[in-house]
Amino acid sequence: MVVSEFEESSLLLDEKLLRFMDQLELLEEKRAALNSLIEQGWFSMSKARYSIGNKRVSALQYASEIEPLVCVHARTLDNGEVDFCTERSKQKGSNEAGKEATPIEDIGPQEEGVRRRNKPKKNITEKKEGEEASSEKAPEVTPSRKSDQNPQQDPLKWFGILVPQTLKQAQSSFMQVIELSAEIATLQTAVLNSRQELKQCRKDKPILQESSATQLEKHSD
Amino acid sequence: MAELSFNEDHGYLEGLVRGMKAGILTDTDYHNLAQCDTLDDMKLHLQSTDYGRMLSTSEEDLTVSLVDSKLRENLVTEFSCLRSNALPPLSTFLDYITYSYMIDNVVMLITGALKQRDVAEVLPRCHPLGAFDQMAAVGIARTPTELYSAILVDTPLAQFFQEAVSEDNLDEMEAEILRNKLFKAYLESFHSFCKSLGGATRDTMCPVLEFEADRRAFIITVNSFGTDLSGVDRSVLYPSCGKLYPEGLQLLTRAEDHEQVKAVAECYPGYKIIFDDPEPESGCKTLEDRFFEQEVKLNTLAFLQQFHFGVFYSYIKLKEQESRNIVWIAECVTQRQKSKIHNYIPIFK
Repeated sequence: MVVSEFEESSLLLDEKLLRFMDQLELLEEKRAALNSLIEQGWFSMSKARYSIGNKRVSALQYASEIEPLVCVHARTLDNGEVDFCTERSKQKGSNEAGKEATPIEDIGPQEEGVRRRNKPKKNITEKKEGEEASSEKAPEVTPSRKSDQNPQQDPLKWFGILVPQTLKQAQSSFMQVIELSAEIATLQTAVLNSRQELKQCRKDKPILQESSATQLEKHSD
Repeated sequence: MAELSFNEDHGYLEGLVRGMKAGILTDTDYHNLAQCDTLDDMKLHLQSTDYGRMLSTSEEDLTVSLVDSKLRENLVTEFSCLRSNALPPLSTFLDYITYSYMIDNVVMLITGALKQRDVAEVLPRCHPLGAFDQMAAVGIARTPTELYSAILVDTPLAQFFQEAVSEDNLDEMEAEILRNKLFKAYLESFHSFCKSLGGATRDTMCPVLEFEADRRAFIITVNSFGTDLSGVDRSVLYPSCGKLYPEGLQLLTRAEDHEQVKAVAECYPGYKIIFDDPEPESGCKTLEDRFFEQEVKLNTLAFLQQFHFGVFYSYIKLKEQESRNIVWIAECVTQRQKSKIHNYIPIFK
């Protein structure tokens, strides 16, 4: 027996509906996670202000012109959906005259900020050599601490080097928010797309239903 | 016999500060504030306290930042009143209290300059208690040596620059190191000044300053994990006037994680409780919170004795804690995080 187009399209409609529902559920979950992460981030910042003072975590601490560390790329896929993905800009290694011979270590997944380099050990050995030599060498000994005009700095450092743990927690919350935002944007376009497809399917359904009914009549004759 | 002659020069001011201390917010006040739903409600409740119409007189929008500024203004007024009537050695003592704010202001001006912020923008945000004449020029210095020789040499901070001079360019790391080195020198100098005053001042102030020194050592260590500041680098930042000196500080230099710091704290009964695991009901208190709590306890003890200068220092510190409490409650109210609103530290029960 020929599986009618109508049955096929009904199955497809069911599938699309289920997918739409799943996407909606996922979207709601992610939105709730986003809201709670944002709240958490702001609250952690308040806790940091409590620890080190209101004026040390404020607009004064960052420059009026900032270069972003994360970019969002949008590309349209074949099925009409738009995919948003975040990209963290690569660190420009500040190789100061060969002192930083060791490369920047990559710890775990893409993280904002300057990695912990093998600076401390270098500093100690260099300092020892410096002490053995004359005091005129002192300025040369600590070049790794010279201000690298590296614009792509960890924003955490704007608030000082010895920031409280709560500020680090705030930063990690906001970093997760960025990732999540891209996912939610992608999901949102997917949801709209699914909804469009559903509408289309439901429009076609009565037409197919009619044509399948006439086909059945023909067969039964 | 300090009791016989103290009141001659300082009796009026001690009376004044004890009067001001009586206006410190109580549990009831905090309870009322915590019930508020908006900052306007809080403003209303604060009117019935010693703060009076402090917030009502302002034309600006009521924000947490404004509340913080007004509380600070209030404290500065009270302090100025005390300082302007003080005779030596109380005047020197009160000046010592202002040096910590001066150090913070210097670092704020330096970091503001690093961010290309206009001096006119940064200056109003500096703490008024730490104001000095050469403030506007601080942002120009590129190294600590330049800062000292060109700008700060004629200020009271000059005496703390012995260890802090260096030729390194003033970037974020250097600014942080400068802050801590200046503070270390300041704390040690203050400690020896209080010791030289002797009597009840020494008995109340020295434990407080020793606690402050140890607190800084712990906090610097814990916050330096995961940064470019190594153990050796941070060891020069530890003040040496505390109980941790010298063995505890050596252990802290070698500590690499929180557990090792906790192990160091366990050798000292006063600090063991701060690092102990919290009870589940107390909520997640940060390390800084626990240190603040201990600081409040120590400072309230100053008022149990008379005829000494410790009351002045303790009053300022307790008022600062009160400001932190009020601002915390304000933040919880504006961010609708009422569950954490009781994390403030009550001062006098």
